[in-house]
Amino acid sequence: MEKNKQKMTKKSKVLIAIIAIVIIAGIIVTLTAGLNFDLRYRDSKKIELNLGTDFNISDIRQMTNEVMEGEQVIIQKVEVYEDTVSITAKDITDEQKQGLIDKVNEKYGTTLSADSVTIESIPNTRGRDIIKPYIAPFAIATLIILVYMAVRYYKLGIIKTLLKTVIILVVAQAVLLSVMAITRIPIGIVTIPLVITVYLLTLIGLTSYFEKQLTNKNEKEKAGK
Amino acid sequence: MKKIKLLTIILGIVLVTMIAFFGVYVPVQNRMEDKVKDYSYAMDLKGGRNIRLTVDTSTDTKIKDADGNEVTDADNLSDEELAEKGYTKEETASNSQDVLNEDNYKKSKEIIEKRLKALGVDNYVTKLDEETGDILVEIPENDNTDSVVSNLGTTGKFEIVDSSTQEVLMDNTDIKSARVMYGSNSSTTSRGTAVYLDIEFNKDGKDKLKNISSTYTNSSNTTNTTDNTTNTENADNTTSDDSSTETAKKITMKIDDEEIMSTSFDETIETGRLQLSVGTATTDTDTLQNYINQASSMAVVLDNGNMPIKYTVDTNEYILSDVTQDEVNIIAYVFIGLAAIALIVLIIRYRTNGLVNAFSYIGLASLFLLLLRYANVVISIEGIFGIAITLILNYIFVNKLLSKLKKEEKVDKAVINIAFKETYKEFFIRIIPICIAVITFCFMPWEPLSSFGMVMFWGIALIAIYNIAITNLLVRVKASKKESKGGKVKDGKKQAKND
Repeated sequence: MEKNKQKMTKKSKVLIAIIAIVIIAGIIVTLTAGLNFDLRYRDSKKIELNLGTDFNISDIRQMTNEVMEGEQVIIQKVEVYEDTVSITAKDITDEQKQGLIDKVNEKYGTTLSADSVTIESIPNTRGRDIIKPYIAPFAIATLIILVYMAVRYYKLGIIKTLLKTVIILVVAQAVLLSVMAITRIPIGIVTIPLVITVYLLTLIGLTSYFEKQLTNKNEKEKAGK
Repeated sequence: MKKIKLLTIILGIVLVTMIAFFGVYVPVQNRMEDKVKDYSYAMDLKGGRNIRLTVDTSTDTKIKDADGNEVTDADNLSDEELAEKGYTKEETASNSQDVLNEDNYKKSKEIIEKRLKALGVDNYVTKLDEETGDILVEIPENDNTDSVVSNLGTTGKFEIVDSSTQEVLMDNTDIKSARVMYGSNSSTTSRGTAVYLDIEFNKDGKDKLKNISSTYTNSSNTTNTTDNTTNTENADNTTSDDSSTETAKKITMKIDDEEIMSTSFDETIETGRLQLSVGTATTDTDTLQNYINQASSMAVVLDNGNMPIKYTVDTNEYILSDVTQDEVNIIAYVFIGLAAIALIVLIIRYRTNGLVNAFSYIGLASLFLLLLRYANVVISIEGIFGIAITLILNYIFVNKLLSKLKKEEKVDKAVINIAFKETYKEFFIRIIPICIAVITFCFMPWEPLSSFGMVMFWGIALIAIYNIAITNLLVRVKASKKESKGGKVKDGKKQAKND
């Protein structure tokens, strides 16, 4: 029994050390290199080409792959008739614009000219603007959950339960963001859903842990009586 | 009989699965049409309206006489004729150079965000080009989009000026709030519901309004100002009516330098509120809705302050999402693959019980996808994650139930009852915090989050109902079949022994 406990403590210590290292590394990477934002959230350039006919995104993708080799590109259909294509990339030079126009003219028989197509600048989306709409809902939900935790697990000590809940919720999110920072996974459209998923899974983990502790405590109390 | 029951349930599950994944196609005008309702997608999956607001660089030309007074009827005169008359042309930029700075760009963006919120736009993206001041807005495409766009380009400059001297008497800084009010009207001229724009002024504004309403009084009482209520739609008529009266002094109300009305007051306003009737009282629903929309737009613009910079709508186009149907399909196939592996694990671990529950699981997943369509749940990327989490939760539930049943030597009705009761208790106690979060998210006015909340809400509700109804039934039928089979074997053995 004692050996098992020692083993657990050792395991816990190793786990805590790994988590701490990941978070510290994440903070360092974020401070030095910043987070890697997805193209849709970064400063970018955009051109729109009116093809006047229905088209396949895969065909346009092939053209952009040839003209802008190795660059991340967002291709979207424009307007209800879907006969205009919007191409967004980190940077679009005049040569690349001309190259794309040539390829489009060749494939679709259009007579687009470089003069009629302008390169638009798309400003970045600030990180705080992305998370702003989520702050209040998460704060409200967490507050209600904390009240529930305090009531349900008061036998385990209210302050202890609340502290554990808050710390673990924060650490779980910090680990997620640190991993994203270290591995340079782009902050994109799946980041917030991932944050929500981790938040909910952490909650399940927490309640399972507290339930076990509560059962043990109740059993001990019964045995004592 | 039990075999038929089991087969019926399994066939029912297969049918629901076919409908959910492949649809129900019927011929309509020489083509096949899927009769199953389609999903409603959010902006991130469907696309949205992209608007680029650019800083207005136009100039306004004013013609002034020798005394510096503005001349309004000299637009058609040539430069020589203007010079002959002693008039001078003055060009003023819509935005002076001193207002074009980063702080004002940021303030304009904040005001636009406030307006979007006030207009009930539940999902938007705003981007600011800090160098040029351009603001990019992306909003969902729906019936209100055009109305919302029209409010974005408005500066929201509110002024009450002296009609003759053009001296500014009140402006945006005096407004506390603006809102829409309704009231029934039964006057001799019009009957029905009247819509009012109610402007409440702050302390300074209240004092100013009191002074103005006592100074700018109507000497002959013929203007249509009654009980602090002024008719905005009849601005032109009011002016012409007033011209025939002996009004001493008049005020002009302007929004974005556009004259809304010109009037004077019957009595001193001490309440600090000004109610402007929008249109006339009507019983027609469409007309009324139109007035309400007009008044709401004005209220939103006035309530959120005026933009320090004048903007024009440069681009206004609907752009489809960059997340294509193919990409969504890939995600779906990956998830189906993972679910298949998980179900195979379930079958290997729990044998026939696992197989029955795997069938039940597929039924729940299919029913869930149909439910999301018919419950009008908007699916966003967050919603897709919600679907995945719901299915994971159900897997946890099924696994828990099967592990309980596996522990028992003999699985009969009583054992199944206890296993279900315990599983429900354990499972739902553990997910209470999730339920709290999900319900909270459901009520949030942010579409991606409410989409996640709604998906999970229906998912959890379905887990609770479906498992007690279908999974429970399947497990019971399967157990009783085994029991009767076991009984028959036992009887056979007994018979053989007796023989």
